[in-house]
Order: sequence, then C-alpha cells, then structure tokens
Amino acid sequence: MAYQILTRLFPGADKNAVNCVKRLKNVPPESIALTLALVWLVSITLLRFSIDANSGTRDRLKVGYLPITCHLLLPVGMDRQVFFKRNVIPVKFTSWPDMIEAVKGGELDAAFILAPIALSLMDQGVPVQIALLGHRNGTGLVVSNSADIRDVTDLRNKIVAIPIRFSMQNLALLILLEKRGIDPNSVTRVELPPPDMPSALASKSIDGYIVGEPYATQAELMGAGRILKNASSIWPQFISSVVIVSKNSIRARKGLMDKLLKGLFAQGQWIETHRRQAAIIGARFFGLEPRLIKRVLLKKEVSYRNILPRSKEFQDIGKQMVRFRLVDRLPKVEIYNRWQ
Amino acid sequence: MAVRRAGFFLIFSLLLLLWHSVTTFFDIPEYLFPRPDSVAGAMWEMVLGGQLYRNTIASLFRVTWGFYLAIVTAVPLGLFIGRQRYFRAFLNPLIQFLRPISPLAWIPMALMWFGIGDKPAIFLIFLSSFFPLVVFTISSVLNIKKTYLRVAQNFGLKGSRLYLRVILPAALPEIITALRITLGTAWLVIVAAEMIAVKSGLGYLIMDARNSLRMDKVVAGMVAIGLIGLVLDHVIRLLERMPSVEWSRMRR
Repeated sequence: MAYQILTRLFPGADKNAVNCVKRLKNVPPESIALTLALVWLVSITLLRFSIDANSGTRDRLKVGYLPITCHLLLPVGMDRQVFFKRNVIPVKFTSWPDMIEAVKGGELDAAFILAPIALSLMDQGVPVQIALLGHRNGTGLVVSNSADIRDVTDLRNKIVAIPIRFSMQNLALLILLEKRGIDPNSVTRVELPPPDMPSALASKSIDGYIVGEPYATQAELMGAGRILKNASSIWPQFISSVVIVSKNSIRARKGLMDKLLKGLFAQGQWIETHRRQAAIIGARFFGLEPRLIKRVLLKKEVSYRNILPRSKEFQDIGKQMVRFRLVDRLPKVEIYNRWQ
Repeated sequence: MAVRRAGFFLIFSLLLLLWHSVTTFFDIPEYLFPRPDSVAGAMWEMVLGGQLYRNTIASLFRVTWGFYLAIVTAVPLGLFIGRQRYFRAFLNPLIQFLRPISPLAWIPMALMWFGIGDKPAIFLIFLSSFFPLVVFTISSVLNIKKTYLRVAQNFGLKGSRLYLRVILPAALPEIITALRITLGTAWLVIVAAEMIAVKSGLGYLIMDARNSLRMDKVVAGMVAIGLIGLVLDHVIRLLERMPSVEWSRMRR
C-alpha cells in the first residue's frame, strides 16, 4: 500500500527510491507489524515523558484536595506564596473514596478531608493527625424549588443526597431531623458526588441535598433550588473538612510540613480581608465559574478565621459518629499542633 | 471500501442532525445535554489549549503499556497452558475465578498498592486484557487441527521449535481476533481508570470538566474517546490482513 501511495504521489520519483520501497514489500508483514508496534511503544513513552517532565517534583509535598471552597486555603497559597509554588504539588481528587485510598496508601503528605473520615482513618490505625481546619460553616441544606418543601418537616418520604456517610453534612442532617422529631429512616439518604448534586436536583431525581459550598449556592444560581438551612444554624461553628498530615511526613520533613501548615493558616487570615480576590483565585484553580465562588465568599457565611483544631470539638464529632452508628467506639483523636 | 466509507459518513451525519434537532426542538438546557455546536466549540478550545493532545498521549501511553504487558505475559502463558493438560486442570479454575471480576473492582487495591499516577491505571488495563487473552489463547491452542500436531510430531519437532513453528502460527489468527476484542475493552477501562486519582488522561478530562460543570467539555471528551477507539480498531484490523492471519479466513 505504501508503495502505491508513493508512486501516486511522486509519479516521476527516483527509480532507486521506488526500488527501495519495492524491497520493503518483500519484508514479511509480521516483522513490519512488530517493528511498528515497538516504534509506537517507544514513541508514545517518549512523548509522555516529554510532556510530563516532572523533574524535581520528587521531594515536593503532595497535598490532596477537592474543588470545594472548604479547601480554598490551598489554591490561595499556591497563588500567593513562593514557598507553595516551590514545595507543594496539589493533587486534585474528584471523589472522597479515591482520596481515602490515596491517604491509606501513604501517597499524600497532607490532605483536606472530611472530619469524620479523618476520625475513622485514625480509628483504623492509619498514621495521620489533624493539624488544621478547612473553614467553618459554608454548608447548606438545599431543597428543590418545585417541590412542596417549605420546612424541614416536609422532607419526610423525600430523597436527600449527602456527599458520603462519613461526612459532617450527613451528621448535621441527622441531627436536624432528630431535633424536629422526624425519624431519620423516613428520609431516603443517597450518597452522591457533590458536583453532581445541583444537576440531580434540576432533573428532579432528588428532592434536596446537603453539601459544602459552592454546590449549595450553585443550585440557587441555576434556579433549581434554594438553601433551606445553613449548617451554622444546626451546628454552631460547623466544621466540614480538616487538614490531616501524615505522621511519616512529619517525622521525615518536619520543617517543610510546619511551613506548609503555617502558610495555609496565614492564607485563612488573608482570605477574610480579600474575599473578592480569593474568589477569583479559587475559581481559576478549581475550574469553576468566578461569579459562583464570588457569590459564596461574599455572603460571608463561610469563615476562615477560627481554624485551629480543638480536641474538644472532635470529641463531640466522635460522639455523634458513635450515636449514629458510623463507628463502634469513640475514635481516638490525634491533633498535631506543634507547628503553631 | 467505498460502501463502508459512505456508510460511515451517512450514519455520523444522521447522528449529528438528530442531535442538533432534538436539542433545539425540545429546547434542552445546556447543562443537561449540550448542543453539537457548543461541543464543537469546547473541542476546539481543548485542541487549541493543548489539553486534548496532552491527555490523549497520557491515555494512549497507559493503554499501550498495560496492553503490551498483557500480551507478552498472557500469550506465552496461554500457549503453554493450552498444551499441558495437567496445568490446564490446575490453573483454569483460578483463571475462571479471577476473570469475571471487573477491573474496576480492583481500583481500591490498585490505588493503595501503586499510589497515584500511571502505575495503577496501567495495572487496571493489564488486568482487563490479561485474563481474556489467556482464555482466548488457550482455546485457540485447543482448536488447532490435530493433523498439524501429528505432522510436527513426525518431523520430530519439540520444545521451543514446536511452539514457534507450529503452535503459534496455527493459533495466531484467533489470537489476533482476541487482541482486537481486548484492545476494545482496554480502551473502555482506561477512561474509568483515569476517573480515579490521576491528573491526566481523557478520563480525567471528563471528570474534571464535570467538576467544573462544563457539560460541553464532557461530551467533547466522549467524542474524542469514541474517535480514538475507532482509529485503534482500524489499526488492529490491519493485522488481520497479514497473510499469516488471513489464511484461516480463506479456509472458510
């Protein structure tokens, strides 16, 4: 075939060249196939590594996160501080289970992770400690506009999505239902990745959801639903995610890890006074609409100020987890605060 | 050839037309199902930004390594097991037990064993191709005409020469068919494998677009995957045209 193409393209081609191609026709096709297969292997590998030249990234700190405002400290740090640019690789996850497995596998030096997950990891003996909070509040219970839901009590026999069983959102929902005298079993709870929740609500496959921002405000922006309750009214000073650190990384690179934590903490103070700028950075980093993040941050429901972990709060969370049967016994909470 | 090409263009034009008219006629909102023109726009944006190129390379790299590793391990193993009755009785139950487990069920393990990056994805591709290839190779060895083996015996062929001169060539046509099928599955699995913790690849592209609420990019990613799948199938079909493979078809 190559021969035909060549002769057609260059009718007056040099005889020698044509002969050369002719001779190629005598090579068994198996050898050609094998050679091409090997050439492909080599070239795709070279291409891959020419694109992903991650030289010098080996000794950087890997920090796991999800694109939610509770994890905003990381992008702001990446944008504003040279230390982050030089020493941190942000690792984006799209769902909690994937991140959990990466933490268990010891892949990450630090991670922004839901508080109940952090507690259950510690309970399972995974060598991690809580070092910082992501932010406070900034979680909303969203209900559909079209359905006849005016109050929490109307959620009976409805479907409400939660991010994952081991989430503060799930605990907050259960506490709220209990407080209003609704049997939690009369509400169908389904686990859904946060980014899917607004469109699931729009297509009416769920009646409501409880989630961290910006996916609560997203429903408002889309016109699919409204925020019925903010988490702060259910659980004051609501914590959603925490920053966990790997004990091994602390042992091996305490200096770098402490700088990372100090840096993250400092970003919280900066965001408080520069919400508009922080929103722009976050939107760019997360790949979300700037006006969405701006709306979330300018509401001032979320707070990045009071983000040092206190063991009393985590004991309360642990108690709730036991009460709602997420764990069998009170998880032992380990807090790392020697960086402060 | 001309008929095939005409069919190709006809079906895809019809699909585009249907897609366009349904989305405009029912006025389906963009976030539920984007229109063809916005998908084309997203595709163009990804081509210009180099995103499509980078992620396609990453996906092809993983599929290539996983698939090749599966070939170099599964085919020799299959040829061997196919010939040895006792080994077959011994190993077949194990292979049949592991085969129906979807590669996706291995995701948690893959992540914990291999961490994040190329390795778990390659491992998943390897798994998705390895078991079917072993099984196909075994059955292709079992299907070899007894006459060939008797002739080989008469010539006193033994050991590696028997495998290289008689068994492999006789089983090759069926192995090539198996390769075509498993490459299809491998390409199917890569997307799912990349939806877990990797930072590149077409699966990641879709996942990332979804998280940033860009349905047009999601569909553009799907289109890219389909197109590359089409090319892969076409390339591997070329192998079926080799004389050492084609003879089995002429027999029919």
